[in-house]
Amino acid sequence: MEIKNVQMEAAKAENPTALRILWREIFRDKLAFISLIFLVLVTATVYGISIILDQDEIVKVDLFAIHQPPNDEFILGTDYGGRDVFGQLIIGTRNSLTIGFLVTLMSGIIGIVFGLVSGYFGGHIDNAMMRILDFFNVLPFLMIVIVFVSLVPKYNTVTFSLIMTVFLWMGIARLIRSKALQEKELDYVQASRTLGSSHFKIIFKEVMPNITSLIVVTMTLNLAANIGIESGLSFLGFGLPESTPSLGTLLSYATNPQTLESRWWIWIPAAILILMLMLAVRNVGEALRRAADSRQRRG
Amino acid sequence: MAILDVSGLKVHFPIKGGIFNRTIGHIKAVDDVSFSIEQGKTYGLVGESGSGKSTTGRAIVGLENITAGKILFEGEDITSRESKTKDMRKDIQMIFQDPYSSLNPRKRVRDIIAEPLRNYEKLTKNEEKQRVYELLELVGLNPESIWKFPHQFSGGQRQRIGVARAIALKPKLIIADEPVSALDVSVQAQVLNFMQDIQKELDLTYLFISHDLGVVEHMCDEIAIMYRGRYVEQGTREDIFENPQHIYTKRLIAAIPDINPRNRDAQYAFRQEVKREYENSFDDYFDAEGLAYNLQNISATHRVALPERG
Repeated sequence: MEIKNVQMEAAKAENPTALRILWREIFRDKLAFISLIFLVLVTATVYGISIILDQDEIVKVDLFAIHQPPNDEFILGTDYGGRDVFGQLIIGTRNSLTIGFLVTLMSGIIGIVFGLVSGYFGGHIDNAMMRILDFFNVLPFLMIVIVFVSLVPKYNTVTFSLIMTVFLWMGIARLIRSKALQEKELDYVQASRTLGSSHFKIIFKEVMPNITSLIVVTMTLNLAANIGIESGLSFLGFGLPESTPSLGTLLSYATNPQTLESRWWIWIPAAILILMLMLAVRNVGEALRRAADSRQRRG
Repeated sequence: MAILDVSGLKVHFPIKGGIFNRTIGHIKAVDDVSFSIEQGKTYGLVGESGSGKSTTGRAIVGLENITAGKILFEGEDITSRESKTKDMRKDIQMIFQDPYSSLNPRKRVRDIIAEPLRNYEKLTKNEEKQRVYELLELVGLNPESIWKFPHQFSGGQRQRIGVARAIALKPKLIIADEPVSALDVSVQAQVLNFMQDIQKELDLTYLFISHDLGVVEHMCDEIAIMYRGRYVEQGTREDIFENPQHIYTKRLIAAIPDINPRNRDAQYAFRQEVKREYENSFDDYFDAEGLAYNLQNISATHRVALPERG
């Protein structure tokens, strides 16, 4: 009995789960590993510090402290309203990351469910669902966001994430659908039918586990893209208002030529952080993508 | 009483084309097929690729929409595809042709075999595990296999997992769709003998679909030959192998390889002769479209597709 248990444990152990393969791939790739540590550190720091910081206090205008270069009181100086840039950077990164995560999560869930259902059932259902998707695709994203921003007087990270989600779930839905179309032709799906499993069960318990790697990879790469899109919108002035700082709003101060030329402390840190964050997420995403495809794996 | 009774089964697939994707024709994958299987017997369905034998099996198990005809299982109508028939479908299970794609690569053996149990029987975790162990033992796999994934098994072992899953609900009828054609010959015999063993043990009825006449002769009590969606000849094993009446059957049987090299020349001459006969008398045995005629009884068990006597 003892030996049997040991054998069982061994059999259990030598079957690396998908998660372990992903982890191993990241660990083997130095750049991806460093990127992951960087991401975890930034996320932890930003969310940690922002608990202590008071957003209302930071965005309060202080006319006696305008445009101060970095000093003891303000580590990264102040902007044209005398607001602490370091505090804004922390809160802004938190807001940008929160929006990135929320949008990725929500658009991911909608996209996955939509794509799986559409691809799995195929035929008329697929046709109808794809036309709905096409409708969302032809909507002008930027224009509607601008209209939304001017119509809704008060919005915050959550409402802004929602409006972004409405326009960002189509890509992942298409991708998942094409994979589901392939997958449902395999015999194991047919076998599940004959064994009495419901469509719901087959979609989420049989087909979905077989495309998890694709889901993880796409969601990670989407995260980088979504942080970029949010920063871009805020930079243009159609994202979060100044009362809710984000990396993009900090960057948009650089549209003032004087700020761009002589007050580097306002926008350089935000620019570097955006660049680093997006690169780091991408590096991790690329490692995950390799892990998902056994021919490209390094470890 | 026959456990399965199929009458006038037709499965037609539409051909789409032209402007607006209209239906411009039909492929008659299965056209007017009738047969019945007795409890505990093995019924062989033979034919070349595309002859409709697999489609027949899939229609019976409910994976294909039926155009016309009736399927009775233990006297009950299971022709309609959906939920009404779910409980009856429990007694009809299928073994798939390809042991590589018919097992979900992301599930452990335990979950694969337990899937039908979870759908139809309310078992506790322990009872379920016990049943999986019993089934694994029945198909001759190690108990520690339950933690493994399908890719860690050989083709033969995978097919045994497929069989274990199919018999988990103690079905009465198993549709075996070319269960050994993806396996190499040494493993084929192993799986086939094992299928015969569990047939005796569990009193199973098989609908055995194959293109391999040698395998069919080994397994089946009754055999039907299909060609382009229609029956060509049907009878007991002896009827088909000793006394083939249709030219298509004759040619199929002539094509069975003979392992004795001394007979090679004789076999070759025999095959050439059958081939000539086939070509000369093709018009006598097939109608203008090249399809088989309706079946005529020539003895109590033996039916052949011959033209109306005239």
